[in-house]
Amino acid sequence: MDNLISIPLLIFLPMFLSFFVLSPLFTSNETTIRRFVKTFCSIHFLYSILALVLYSPAKSYISQIHFFGLDWIQALGIKFVFEIDSIRLILIILTSFIFFLASLASKRVIRKNHKIYYSMFLLLMSAILGIFSANDMFVFFLFWELELIPAYFLIGGDYGKEYNDNAKKSAIKFVLFTFLGSMFMLLGILLLHFYNYTTTGILSATFNDIFTASLPVGMQLFISIMFLIGFGVKLPIIPLHTWLPDAHTNAPTPISMVLAGVLLKTGAYGIFRFNYEMLPEAFKIIAPILAILALINIIYTAFVAYAQTDIKRIVAYSSISNMGLILLGLCAYNQLGVSASVFHMVAHGLVTCGLFMICGIVYQRFKTRNINELTGIASVMPRLFAFALLIVLASIGVPLFAPFISEILTIMSAFFSELSLVLKFCSVFALPLLILSSCYMLKFLHLSFYGEQKSGLENIDDISTHEFLILISIVVGLILFGIFPNGILGVI
Amino acid sequence: MIHDFYNIFLPQSCLILFILIELVMSFFTNIKKYNLARPISAFGICIAVLLLTSVQTEPQYFGFFNSVMSDNYTLLFHFMILLCGFFVVLLSKNIDQKLKKSGYMFQALLLTAILGGMCVVSANDFITLFVSLEVLSFSTYFLIASTKDYFSKEASFKYLITTAVSTGVFLFGVSYLYGVSGSLDLNEIYEIVINKPHSMLFSFSGILIVLGLIAKLALFPFANWVIDVYKGTETSVLAYLSTIPKLALFGIICRMIVFPLGRTVELTFVLCFIALITALWANTYAIREKNVKAIFACSSAANASYVMLTASLVSVYNLSTVIFYLVSYVIINICAFSFLNIVESNNLGFNLDKFKGLFKTNFGISIAYVISILALAGFPLTSGFVAKIYLFSAIAHSGLIFIPFLLILLILTVVALFYYLKLILPIFENIDEVKNFKCAFSQSFVLYITAIITVLIGLYPEKLIELCRFIAYNI
Repeated sequence: MDNLISIPLLIFLPMFLSFFVLSPLFTSNETTIRRFVKTFCSIHFLYSILALVLYSPAKSYISQIHFFGLDWIQALGIKFVFEIDSIRLILIILTSFIFFLASLASKRVIRKNHKIYYSMFLLLMSAILGIFSANDMFVFFLFWELELIPAYFLIGGDYGKEYNDNAKKSAIKFVLFTFLGSMFMLLGILLLHFYNYTTTGILSATFNDIFTASLPVGMQLFISIMFLIGFGVKLPIIPLHTWLPDAHTNAPTPISMVLAGVLLKTGAYGIFRFNYEMLPEAFKIIAPILAILALINIIYTAFVAYAQTDIKRIVAYSSISNMGLILLGLCAYNQLGVSASVFHMVAHGLVTCGLFMICGIVYQRFKTRNINELTGIASVMPRLFAFALLIVLASIGVPLFAPFISEILTIMSAFFSELSLVLKFCSVFALPLLILSSCYMLKFLHLSFYGEQKSGLENIDDISTHEFLILISIVVGLILFGIFPNGILGVI
Repeated sequence: MIHDFYNIFLPQSCLILFILIELVMSFFTNIKKYNLARPISAFGICIAVLLLTSVQTEPQYFGFFNSVMSDNYTLLFHFMILLCGFFVVLLSKNIDQKLKKSGYMFQALLLTAILGGMCVVSANDFITLFVSLEVLSFSTYFLIASTKDYFSKEASFKYLITTAVSTGVFLFGVSYLYGVSGSLDLNEIYEIVINKPHSMLFSFSGILIVLGLIAKLALFPFANWVIDVYKGTETSVLAYLSTIPKLALFGIICRMIVFPLGRTVELTFVLCFIALITALWANTYAIREKNVKAIFACSSAANASYVMLTASLVSVYNLSTVIFYLVSYVIINICAFSFLNIVESNNLGFNLDKFKGLFKTNFGISIAYVISILALAGFPLTSGFVAKIYLFSAIAHSGLIFIPFLLILLILTVVALFYYLKLILPIFENIDEVKNFKCAFSQSFVLYITAIITVLIGLYPEKLIELCRFIAYNI
C-alpha cells in the first residue's frame, strides 16, 4: 500500500502541468482551463489525504530522485531527497487544501490572462510543496527561490477587476524583500554546508547529515541569524514585514488566501527546520530575543490593524499578529510548543483564508473595501453574515473552534518553557493581548456588517454556490479541529 | 615542428585557411546573388570543431618551442570559443545585409578574432600571448566599427584607447617579470619562482600583468568603456564581444593565477578589491539605465567581477566553479543577445518601453528571452542558479576572511535582480498595438537552442560539473 504514495508525483506533477497549461498545446478557453485546474487540485487534495491515511509515524515517506543514476550535484553533495514526516504531512495537506479552495475562489475574480494565472498558480503550488517536503538544504533553497517567479506574476499581474497600479509595485517589493532574505539564507546554507564538511567529512547537504554539535557557538549564532533574516522576511518578523500588507492587499482574492494561508507558513517551517532543529545551541540563545520580537509582532500589528480602514489590510495585519504567536510557540523550545505552532499554522491558515474570501466577496459586490463606506451588509447578505460571524469568532479564539486550542496551547508551551524567564514573561503578556485581536476583528464585523443598510444595494446577490462551498468547508474544518484537536495533535 | 603542427595546431590552421578563403572571396564581390560569406565561415568553424578531436591533450603537450600548449583545459575553452563563434556567425545576418559587399571582410575579421581567442588560451609564453592578444583586439576594433555609423566609430575608438593603455600596462608587467625570472616561458617562470623567496617585485609584475589583461573584461580601472561601447555596437558583434574575449581572457588569467602568478597574496587581494568595486559600480549604475544594451553592459561587467573574485582565490575547486560559471554564462548571454538581434532586425530600438506586450504576440521568443534573463538573475531551473550556487560555494569554502566579500556580492545580486526584472517585466504588459516579429531561421535557431541548453544544464548539471572538475584537477 505504501507504494501508492509517490512524493515526486505529489510535488512535480503540478509543475509539469503548469508548463503544460502555459504552452500553446493547451486550450486557451477560460472555462476549460479553470475546470482542469480545479479538478486537478481536488484530486491532489484527495491524494494527499490518502497519504495521511496510509501514514504511520514509524515509517515516514522518503524518496530520492536520481538523475541517470547520479545525485543532482555531486561536487556539493546535493541530492534531490524528499521526506515526508508528520509535520510536513500536515503542512502539505494544508497546502493542498488551501490551493483547492483558491482554485474554486478564482471563478469570478480572474477575467483576463487565464493561461498565465493558472500556470503560475500550479507552479506556486509545486514550489510550496517542494519547500515543505525537501530534505536537502539546497533543494529547499531551490524551491524557495522558484516560488518567487509565480508569486510575482500572481500578485502583480492584471487579472481583471481587482487590479490596480499598486499591484505591480507591491509584487516587486515582495520579490526584492524575499530575494534579499534568501540571499542571507544562501550564505547561511553555504557556511553550514562548508563547516559540516570540514568537521565531519561528509559532503552532503541533507538535513539528516548536518551535525552542528562541534561548531563554535559564535559561528552557529552567525549562521542562525542569517537564517532568521531569510525566514523573518517571509514569516514576517516585525522590522521585515513591510512587504506583506501591500502584497496581500493588492493581490487577487485567491492569491491573498494562498499567501496568508500557506506562504507565510513556509517561513515558520523554515525556522523550525533550520534554526530549531539544526542549530539548537544557537537557537537556545536567540529564543528569548526572538520571543520578545514575537511579542512585539503580536502587540504592534494588533494596534496597526485596529487603525486600518481597508478590510483586507486588517486581515493582513491580523495574520502578522498570528504569525507572531506561531513564532512564540517555536521559541518555547519544547515538544508542546512545536505541536502547538503547527496546529496554529493549520488553524490560522483556515481562518485567514476564510477572512480573505469574505473580503473578496464583499469587494466584488460593493466595489469598495473601505470600512467606513461599508455598512449593513448583514441585512443584504444574511448567509455571508453567518459565515463571517463564525469565522471572526473563530479568529478571536472562541472555544469550540480550532484557534482557541492552538492559542491556549502556544501560550502554555511558552509558559512551561525551561529556556528562560523571558518566555514566561512573554506568555503572561501575550495572553491578555489576544484580546486586542477581538478588538479589531469585531470592529471589522461591527462596522461593515451591522448598521443600517445603504440605499441602492437591494439587488445584491447573496453568496453563490461555490463561495458557499469554500466557506462551509473552512468552517467545518475549524469546528472539526476545535472539537477534535487530536486529529492534528495526534499525528504530530 | 611538423609534429607540433599536426598534434595541436590543426583547428587554428583550419581557421587561417578559411580566413584566406573569405579574403579571396571578397575580391569577387560581383557575385551578389549568392552571398556565401556566412555559410563559408560557419562551415569553417564546423570543420575546426571536428579537427579539435585531433588535438593531443593527454599528457599536456607543448609545441612550437614551448610557446603553445594544449591540454583538456585549453580544449574546453577552444570548443566554447568555437561554439560561441558559430552562434555569432549565425546571428550576423543583419549586419551582413547592411554591409553587403564587405560581408566577407566582416566574416574574415570574425574568424580572425576567434583565432586570436584560441591562441590566447593556449599561449604558453608571454610573446605568444602578446601577439595573440593583439590579433584578438585588432579584429575587435574593426568588428565594433563595422557598421560605420557615428556611434560605432566612437565605440571602437574608445575600445582602442582603453585596450592600448592596458596593453602598455601588461607589457610593463611582463618586462618586470622578465627581470625577476629571466624567462618568458610560463613553465620556466613557475620553476624559477617556486625555488626563490617571495619578492615584492614579482607580486608587482603579476599585478600589472593581470591589470593589463582585465581591461577587456571591463573590470574596474578600465571599466568605463563598456557602456558606451555596448550602446554603439551592433548586437551580433555584442554577442561576440560579451563571450569570446571573456572566455579567452579568463582562460589565460585563471591558468596564470593557478600557475606562476598565484603564489602572491597581494595579487589575490588586489583582484578581490577590483572585483568588488566593479560589482558595486556595475550593479548600481544599471539601476537607472533605460537602454537595454547599457543594462547588458553593466550585467556583463558585474558577472565578470563575480568570476574574477572567485578566480583570484586560488584553488582547483574554485577553478572548476569558474569554468562552469563561464560555460553557462556565455550560453545564457548568447541567448539574450540573439533576442536583441531579433529586436534589432525588426527595427524596434532598444528602449525598454518598446518591448511592451511582446508576450502575447511572440510567445516563443519572449519565453526564451525570459529564460535567459532569469538565468542571469540566478533563478532555479536554469543554469544560472546552479552556476550561482556553485560559484558562491567556492568563495564560502575559501575561508572566513572572504565571508564579508560574499555577503556584499549576495546583496548585490538582489540589486541585480532589480534591473533584470526591469528587463523582462514590460514584456508581460498589455497594450493594444500588436506587433508581430519576423525572425529568420538562423536567429530563432540560436535563440531556442541556447535557451534549451540553459534549461538542460539547470536541470541536470552533473555531467558538466564533472567535466569542469576533471579539467580543473588535471591542470
